Amino acid sequence: MKVIIGFEIHEQLATKTKLYCDSPTNYREVEPNTNVCEVCTGMPGAKPYPMNQDAIDAAIEIALMLNCEIVRDPIYIQRKHYDYPDLPSGYQRTSLPIGIKGELNGVGIWEVHLEEDPGKYDPLSGKVDYNRSGVPLVEIVTAPDMHSPEEARSFLRELTKVLHYTGKVRPEGGTMRMDTNISLEGGARVEIKNINSVKGAYRALKFEIARQKNLRKRGIIVKRETRAFLETQMITRSMRTKETAEDYRYIPDPDIPPLLITEEKIKQIKSLMPEAPHLKLSRFMEQYGLSRDDAWAITSEIDMADAFEEVAKLYGKPGPAASFFRHIVKKVLGYNDLSFRESGLSGKAIAELLSLRDSGKITDAGAEQVVRTLVKQPGDVRRIIEKKRLIRIDEDHVLEKAVKEVLEENPGAVKDYKSGKAEAMNFIIGKVMAKTRGRADPKVVRKLLIKELG
Amino acid sequence: MVEVTALTDEVQEKVAKYLDRARREDGDINALIELNPGAEQAAKEVEKKIDSGKGGRLAGYVVAVKSNINVMGLRATCASKTLENYVSPYDATVIQRIKKEDGIILGMTNMDEFACGSSGETSYFGETQNPRAKGRIPGGSSSGSAVAVAAGFCDVALGSDTGGSIRNPASHCGVVGFKPSYGRVSRYGLIDLAMSLEQIGPFANNVRDAALLLEVIAGHDPKEGTTIKDQFQGYTDNLSADLDGWKIGFAREFEEFTEPAIVRVIKRGLDRLSSNGAEVVEIALPNLDKALPTYYLTVFVEFFSATRKYDGRRYGYKIEDVCGREVLRRIMLGRYISQKEYSGRYYKKALQFRSLIKRELLHALEAVDVIAGPTVPKLPHMLGEKIEDPLVMYGYDVLTVPTNLAGIPAGVVNVGRIKGVPVGMQIQGRPLDEQKVLNAMHALEKD
Ligand SMILES: [Zn+2]
Repeated sequence: MKVIIGFEIHEQLATKTKLYCDSPTNYREVEPNTNVCEVCTGMPGAKPYPMNQDAIDAAIEIALMLNCEIVRDPIYIQRKHYDYPDLPSGYQRTSLPIGIKGELNGVGIWEVHLEEDPGKYDPLSGKVDYNRSGVPLVEIVTAPDMHSPEEARSFLRELTKVLHYTGKVRPEGGTMRMDTNISLEGGARVEIKNINSVKGAYRALKFEIARQKNLRKRGIIVKRETRAFLETQMITRSMRTKETAEDYRYIPDPDIPPLLITEEKIKQIKSLMPEAPHLKLSRFMEQYGLSRDDAWAITSEIDMADAFEEVAKLYGKPGPAASFFRHIVKKVLGYNDLSFRESGLSGKAIAELLSLRDSGKITDAGAEQVVRTLVKQPGDVRRIIEKKRLIRIDEDHVLEKAVKEVLEENPGAVKDYKSGKAEAMNFIIGKVMAKTRGRADPKVVRKLLIKELG
Repeated sequence: MVEVTALTDEVQEKVAKYLDRARREDGDINALIELNPGAEQAAKEVEKKIDSGKGGRLAGYVVAVKSNINVMGLRATCASKTLENYVSPYDATVIQRIKKEDGIILGMTNMDEFACGSSGETSYFGETQNPRAKGRIPGGSSSGSAVAVAAGFCDVALGSDTGGSIRNPASHCGVVGFKPSYGRVSRYGLIDLAMSLEQIGPFANNVRDAALLLEVIAGHDPKEGTTIKDQFQGYTDNLSADLDGWKIGFAREFEEFTEPAIVRVIKRGLDRLSSNGAEVVEIALPNLDKALPTYYLTVFVEFFSATRKYDGRRYGYKIEDVCGREVLRRIMLGRYISQKEYSGRYYKKALQFRSLIKRELLHALEAVDVIAGPTVPKLPHMLGEKIEDPLVMYGYDVLTVPTNLAGIPAGVVNVGRIKGVPVGMQIQGRPLDEQKVLNAMHALEKD
C-alpha cells in the first residue's frame, strides 16, 4: 500500500536578537522572563520593530540552499490568530512564502516562510516563559514526496545537514520541530503535530501507518484529522477532526510593511553562501578521488569537510586522509558524542598527526590516542605524543622483551596457535599491543611472533 | 477664568494653576481620568533648565494625553474596564519626544472606550461634557483631550485619529486639531483600534502650538516600521497665512452629506481663504459614499485582531466580558467578517474600495493645494439623547474617514458657530504635506 508523507518543519534561526525587537535570543542560558520587552510580551501599544535583517537574510539563504525560487513580489506578514497562553498578542506573525518551488534529494520544497516562536507554556504550573517569544523561525513546507518512514528520516537528516551547513540555525541542535501529513493510498490525510526530533518523526510515522492499516483491516474509514504525537508513549492521539478545524482568520499585519527582496540582495547572499552538501560530496569524489562512502562521511558536517580540505592541502594525500577521517576521527567523535565543531579538532593538527604517522614516529593506534586526547583537551600534537609517551617502539630488544613476556603469560593461546588455530595469533598480537600501549607496529610484532613460535 | 498661556508664567506656577483648575472643575466636565502625580516635580526641573538657558522646544508646555497612549507610570486604560488597572511600563515614542523637549505631562484624558465612538459617551469612566456647547457631546473619540484644551486644563493635548477622532471633537469643541499623514508620527505606544488607519496628533488653542507639538512628535522612529524616513522642515518656522496662487478644492458631494446651516458656516470659511489669496475650485469625489462602509469593515477586522491580547490571562479581564456595547459590537462583527469563508467578501473588498477612495482623493489633490470642507455633517447631539442606531452614530464620521483611508494629513480649525455650537473647517492635504494644511488653517484663524 502506497504511503504518502509530507512535512512542515520549524527551525530556530541563530540571530542575536529576536525577530521584531532587540531582546536577546539566548533564552536557554537565562532565568525565565528576563529576555523580554514590551514588544515580545505584546504589551498594549507596543509595535513590532522592523523585521530583523539577519533573520530575513538567513531565511533567504536557507531557501536558496533548498533550491527555491525567491519571491520577488511584496511578501506580506500575516497574523495567524489563535487562543493559547503562549501567544501574548493572540496571534502569531508569519510571512507569506519567501522561497517557493525548491527541491532537496528528490523531495519538493513547496514553501519557506519566516515566523516568530511563541513563548513556552507549562500547563502544570500554569506559567508562561516569554524568553522564547519572538525568536525567529524558518518554516519549511515539503511536498508529500516521501513514501516510508525510512525515506522521511533520511530526508530530515539531509535537511538538518543543509540547515547546519548555512550556519544560520542553532548549532547545538534540538530546536527542530515538525508536523507531518500522512495518508495511505486512497485514504484521508492525517496531520500529526508535536514532533520534536528526527527520531520522533520516524517513530510517529511508524505508529501512524500501523494505526491506519489496522483501521482499514477492520473496515473502518480513516478520518481527516489532526493528531498529537506523545513522545513518551510513542503514540499519536486525536486532537481535532476536520469539522472543528481552527480558523486562523489570517490578515496582513498592518504594523509591518511587506518585505521586498531585491535581485541585488539575492546575488549578495548567493555569493557568500556555502556549497550545498550534495554538491560538495560530488566535488570531493571528483577532486580528491574519494569513494562515495568516504565523501559522504566527511561532508556530513561542514566543519569536518572544511578541515578535510585543509588536511588534503597540508598533508597532500587525500585518500589516506579521508580514510583517517572516516575510520578514526568519526569513531572518536561518535564515542564522545561530539560534532566535529564541538570537538575543537583542526585540519592543521590532523595533518601534522598524519605526517608523523607516515614518518613512523607513531603508530595508527598512537594516532588514534592523540585524537582521543585532543577532543578532551585541545593541545599541541607533538607535546601530547611526548607527554603520553606514544613514540613508536623501534628498538628490537624492547619489543622482543614484550613479546616474550606475553607468550609466557598466555600459554593457552600459544598452545591453541600451535595446534593450528590461526586466530590465536591475533589475540596474542592484541596482548602485545596492549602491553606497549599501542606504540608497537603490529606488522613488526607479527613478524617477531612468527619467528618466536616457529 | 484665569488667563494662562505657555511661556508667560513661571512654569511651576502655571502647572499648579492648571492642576488646581482641573481638580476644581473637572468633576463636572470629566475630561480627565488621571492626573500625573509627577507634574509638579517635572515643572520644577523644567524651570531650572529654562533658567539655565537649556529648555527644550516644549519647555513650559503642559500636555494632556489621551488614555490610549502609554506614559510610563500612568494608567493607559483606554477608558475601559478591560485595562482599568493597566499601568504603562514604558513611554510611547511621542511621549519620549515630548519629555525630551521638556513638555510636562498633566495627566491622562477621557475618551470613547478603546476609541470606539464619535461622541465621548462610551467611556467606562462616564461621558465628557462639552465646555463650549453646554449640554452637548464633545465629540470623540479623543473627547477628553479636546475638552482639556477647551476647558483650559493644559496648553496642548495628544489625541489619536483613526477615522476622525481628533478632528471631530476639535470641531465640536472649537479647538485646533490635526491628524498627520499615515507614517508621519510613530504609533509606538499607541494602543490599537485600527492599525492601518490611525495616527497620533495634537490639539491646541491655536495653529502655531499645534504645529509645534506636531514637529516635536513627528519623524521616523526606528522602532516603528510604518513611519516614513524623510526630512521634514520645521512646521512653525514655515507657518504662513499667505495663500497667494493657491487652489483650494471644495467637493460638491460635501453639501449632499452636510446640514445646510453647517455648509453656510463652511462657505464663509472658504471666503476667508479666498481673501488670503486662494482660488476656490469645485472638485468631485463621487466615491465619498463608499468611504463609511469601507472604513468600518476595516476597523472591525483590525480591532478584532488587536483585542485578542485581552484574553483575561494578563490584564485581569477578558475584553468581551467587561467592555461596553459598541466595543463588543465591533469585536463580534470583526470576528464574523474575518472568518475564512467571508474574508474575500468583506475585508478584501474593503481593501479594494480603500485603494479606489485613496486614488480619488490623490487625484483631486493633484489639481489643488488642499481640499477644504466641513468636518462633521451635523451638530453634536445633546448629552442624554441616546443614539441607539449605530448607523446613525457612524454617520458623524462620513467626512473624516476618507482622510484616514487615503493616509493624508488633515486639520480642523474653528470657523464659526451655530446657536453657540462651534463648527470646524477641515483642511485635507497631499501625503506628507502637513505644512500646506497648517498654513491654510493658519490663514483661517488669522481672519
Ligand atoms: Zn522583546
